[in-house]
Amino acid sequence: MDEVLLSVRGLRTEFVTRDGVFAAVRDVSFELRRGEKLGIVGESGSGKSALALSIVGLIEPPGRVVAGEVELNGRRISGLPDRQLQLVRGKEVGLIFQDPMAALDPVKSIGDQIVEGIRRHRRHLGRREARRLAIELLREVQVPFAERRLADYPHQYSGGMRQRVMIAIALANEPDLIIADEPTTALDVTTQAQVLDLLDRLVSERRTAIILITHNLGIVAEFCDSVHVMYAGRFVERTTVEQLFRAQAHPYTEALLRSVPRPDRLQRGPLPSIPGFPPSLAHLPPGCSFAPRCPAAQEICRDRAPATVELVSESTPVLAECHFARERLRT
Amino acid sequence: MADVAIPAPGTARRATARTALRLVHDDPQLLFASVLLALLAALAALGPVLWPQNPLALNIGEALRAPSPAHPMGTDNVGRDVFARFCAGARISLSVGAIVTAAGAAFGSLIGLGAGTLGGWLDAVLMRVMDAILAFPPLALAMAVTVGLGVGLKTATLGIVLTSLPYFARLLRSEVIKIRTLPFVEAATAIGAHPSWIMWRHILPHTLSTLLIQSAAVFGYAILTLAGLGFVGLGAQVPTPEWGVMITNGLQYALTGQWWIGVFPGLGVLAVVTATSIIADRLRDALDPRGRYAHL
Amino acid sequence: MIRTVGGRLLGSLAAIFGASVVSFLFLRILPGNPARLILGPLASQQAIQQQVRLMGLDRPIYVQYLRYISSFFSGDWGFSYSNGRPVREVIATRLPASIELGLYAFAFAFVAAVVLALLSTYRHRPVVDGTVRAISFFGLGTPPFWFGLLLLLAFSQALHLLPGPEGRLGPAVAPPPTVTGLYTVDAVIAGQWGTLGNALQHLVLPAVTLGLAPFAYLVRLLRVNLLEVSREQFITVVRSKGVGRWTAYVRHALPNAFLPTLTAGGMVLAQLLAGSVLVETVFNWPGVGALVVDSILRQDYAVVQTFILLSAFAYVALNLIVDVLYGVIDPRVRTPTGAR
Repeated sequence: MDEVLLSVRGLRTEFVTRDGVFAAVRDVSFELRRGEKLGIVGESGSGKSALALSIVGLIEPPGRVVAGEVELNGRRISGLPDRQLQLVRGKEVGLIFQDPMAALDPVKSIGDQIVEGIRRHRRHLGRREARRLAIELLREVQVPFAERRLADYPHQYSGGMRQRVMIAIALANEPDLIIADEPTTALDVTTQAQVLDLLDRLVSERRTAIILITHNLGIVAEFCDSVHVMYAGRFVERTTVEQLFRAQAHPYTEALLRSVPRPDRLQRGPLPSIPGFPPSLAHLPPGCSFAPRCPAAQEICRDRAPATVELVSESTPVLAECHFARERLRT
Repeated sequence: MADVAIPAPGTARRATARTALRLVHDDPQLLFASVLLALLAALAALGPVLWPQNPLALNIGEALRAPSPAHPMGTDNVGRDVFARFCAGARISLSVGAIVTAAGAAFGSLIGLGAGTLGGWLDAVLMRVMDAILAFPPLALAMAVTVGLGVGLKTATLGIVLTSLPYFARLLRSEVIKIRTLPFVEAATAIGAHPSWIMWRHILPHTLSTLLIQSAAVFGYAILTLAGLGFVGLGAQVPTPEWGVMITNGLQYALTGQWWIGVFPGLGVLAVVTATSIIADRLRDALDPRGRYAHL
Repeated sequence: MIRTVGGRLLGSLAAIFGASVVSFLFLRILPGNPARLILGPLASQQAIQQQVRLMGLDRPIYVQYLRYISSFFSGDWGFSYSNGRPVREVIATRLPASIELGLYAFAFAFVAAVVLALLSTYRHRPVVDGTVRAISFFGLGTPPFWFGLLLLLAFSQALHLLPGPEGRLGPAVAPPPTVTGLYTVDAVIAGQWGTLGNALQHLVLPAVTLGLAPFAYLVRLLRVNLLEVSREQFITVVRSKGVGRWTAYVRHALPNAFLPTLTAGGMVLAQLLAGSVLVETVFNWPGVGALVVDSILRQDYAVVQTFILLSAFAYVALNLIVDVLYGVIDPRVRTPTGAR
């Protein structure tokens, strides 16, 4: 097995708002190995994006990382001053963001925006060399006529092409880790598939690890090795993709899976949805945070927050935060 | 466009009053601005009762006295009590501000409503006239009006009203055009409601908040411009205790040590204009987070 | 691109036409006797009648308008009786002083607005932001002539740091040889460093006074735009490349926030024009603004009328220039939209 690339322990991120302090990320821990493709799944507002930004120290006020440790390549990067974190961002970790329309500076050319990332970490490179590298990157992410399109501005690119540019920016310095936050959500289905193929190829060629954040279980099934399910700022279930689709240790995972449209179920009436809304992070229930929406909730679920249960199901390890995880997997 | 939730007209009034009270309570700056404005309004209204000195009475023997209990803001070069003149100035400034705002809002809205609802050549002509007014820097146009019609407080007020018209007209016109396409107005038109009735019943209530914000901005602008016209000699004329005129008079004495003649009336202008612009700002934050009104 | 510029140009021509009609209406048609207005209160009956004929006031209105507008464009702006010289000459001799003051005021307003807007919006610091907002409220609410008076009281009278209202130079300093008419520039050209220092000293208070309103206006606009832009995702993306917080802010947030501010250029010019009328007198600055105020006092309205129409033209022209400039600077307007 490959060595551990990223290790996150007890990460907690809070936001101070007018309605009080709320934790978007609540004591999250996990490990990621070289070449691993990890999916993080959850509804919008579950803290996925805050987690991504917390890992690289990009949480801006009124948000703040209040506890936890992040280790990358065996070196602790949490709590480093921003000046040193800047050397990590874009070099060891590349980020890809959700909305390709809003992710590029509208008044700077594409070339300038790629070159900015290259020269930030390779200062010895001249302007011309950096531009040559940028063209190569654009070719690699399959932007046609890369050389001519370097001087164009974001509004001259289509959504799919901009997402490719974003990937090129993330790849610019050959990072060990790519965090992709909903990289395909804003794209049409054909472009989605192309972008995922591209990511898949790059990852396998370079042994890059990737964290793919999404609300789309289909993409996880297609792309990832392992998957963490996030609910109200916590991982409620962690396992491999195969195991997740076989049996769900957490009722939330089950509900999530059931709400995915599938052609073979179309005949059986309306698509089931999860009742209720995700809890307000400022006013979490005292027990399990999913209890108010859980169809199988018992008294204990409302009183006591469940601890993490470690299980093995068909020789695959499963971590779940549910009082009844063991019983659920046995049935 | 269709998903904009708009409360039915009429239910909003009580809620508005309560919202206003809560806003003032929660925001010390707004509270300060409101109190300041109320205080100046009180001075303007009750000045002659509270401080029964004639703002025009000369008393050469008492000229150029520094502030003291007898003359809280001192006396000017011909012995007039500056505090009495300050209160009289507040009356002039606040009245002109109110007149300009009311007249500008009324006529400007009428122009905008007319242009927006009736459309066609009337719209084109009215809006070109508004453009012509906007082609002047505001003070220059106000100067043109006073020079043309004769220097004085009345013509100055008229000039300032004229410069404020396009802001209201443009605002109302764009609102009308936007609201006209909303489903319930289209429905009313389809039923056969008369355009002017639709205007009165549906469009005006919805534009009231933006109108209010713009009015607050114009109020401060009017007072500042009036002082400017007074200062250059195109507004109120010399014995009138208008703040701008008083500052002009105070200018000659400021550098020989009698600072109070010019400083107090300026403070008055500053207080009124700052208070109204804070109020306008908060009104906008509360009523119109998207910011549709023009800054003056 | 060419079509939009053509459209703007047409719009500006319409605005200038409208402005000339409005000023013609107020300055020529409505007053009791424009001839007396132009000649001043001391003119004889005979001179007035001659002037009526000269101005064509006995002709139909549209002829009057055409004469009015053609004489304006041919540079015949009338005669200033209080100066005993043509209005054009009088304004020309006063213009360099106003331009110099206006440039310094604009420079102050612009630099101060950018710096304070950056400081007030960078990293959510409520105290800094509150202070900047308070300053901008003060700047927008202060009568500029009164603010000038306060500055004179503080820096000249109380602290003796800067000269009083002496105009452009101290009484013992001779103006540098005229090249541009701007004393600071001419002093540099002539190498008269003492004169340069003196001119700069005399510029500080008037420039700050005149620049206060445009500064306050710009800082408000920039602040709101910066707050909006700094929440945009592309700033986070820039940071994810490893770029520092401040660099990202200045290199990416500022240009984006600044572009829409450009359209306020016309408003700033209007403030400077109006301000020059209000401020120059306070400092005895021998510019066009002070000339206008003097002319009002002497009822020499030929000068005032010219100033009003000129400032309308300058305002319209600047708005046009800003529109065109915006198209040149903003890549979203300059380059064709859409995927290729």
